[in-house]
Amino acid sequence: MSAPFAAKRLGKELQKISNSLPPGIELVSADNFEEWLVDIRVLDDNPLYRNEIYRLRFRFSSTYPIEPPEVVFVKLPDRPIPIHPHIYSNGIICLDLLGHQGWSPVQNVESVCMSLQSMLTGNTKNERPPGDEEFVRGNRLRPRDIEFYYHDNDV
Amino acid sequence: MKVKITKWNAVATWRWDIPEDDVCGICQVHFDGTCPTCKYPGDDCPLLSGKCGHNFHMHCILEWIKQDSAKGQCPMCRQKFEWTEPPHEPSVDTSQGPPEL
Repeated sequence: MSAPFAAKRLGKELQKISNSLPPGIELVSADNFEEWLVDIRVLDDNPLYRNEIYRLRFRFSSTYPIEPPEVVFVKLPDRPIPIHPHIYSNGIICLDLLGHQGWSPVQNVESVCMSLQSMLTGNTKNERPPGDEEFVRGNRLRPRDIEFYYHDNDV
Repeated sequence: MKVKITKWNAVATWRWDIPEDDVCGICQVHFDGTCPTCKYPGDDCPLLSGKCGHNFHMHCILEWIKQDSAKGQCPMCRQKFEWTEPPHEPSVDTSQGPPEL
């Protein structure tokens, strides 16, 4: 597939989300078709995420949306990494939807943000994934390549 | 009064014969437009309708289906994506106004 595919699709998405986004989701920057930043917050009163805003970084390959985007939380002075049993403290997210197993090309930036919002909303555990410290120290893989590694470990 | 037609121009429009006025879920372009890799809509960039009831530009869905991770499933409903041959023929609508007199 050629690069125009990703650019055209992202152009369409940008057009749409520049006009309106669901509550709690805000586009921070989309200066090119490689990397976008989005802020999300949890809408209900979940004490784990109350009054916090979280920064997401989307990276798109030229094969998007056939391939999933790489999505991580980014840490900044005023943007912490949300606590969640599927979110490592370096911002890497373990979510089926973002891996090759669960991705579908009808997903988009908005739908991914909404899934992450609801993943946080529904969480009650004040926990990191098992092995977080070790993973964060040792991991040199990009999020999209880690997928395998989880699945192999699961088998 | 008699009218003699000396010249007329026929005008026709077309659209895909699908119930909804919708966009392709993969490229998000209107079905009557092309997939991102094509220039001309219509026969050059046909639609493919799954038995599950979901439609896509043929070029878009084939890009997806050839991925191993697609497992042959419809991106919308994850049922096996089987299509009905042949792809949709455009339906020609000739009722767009009278011929020019």
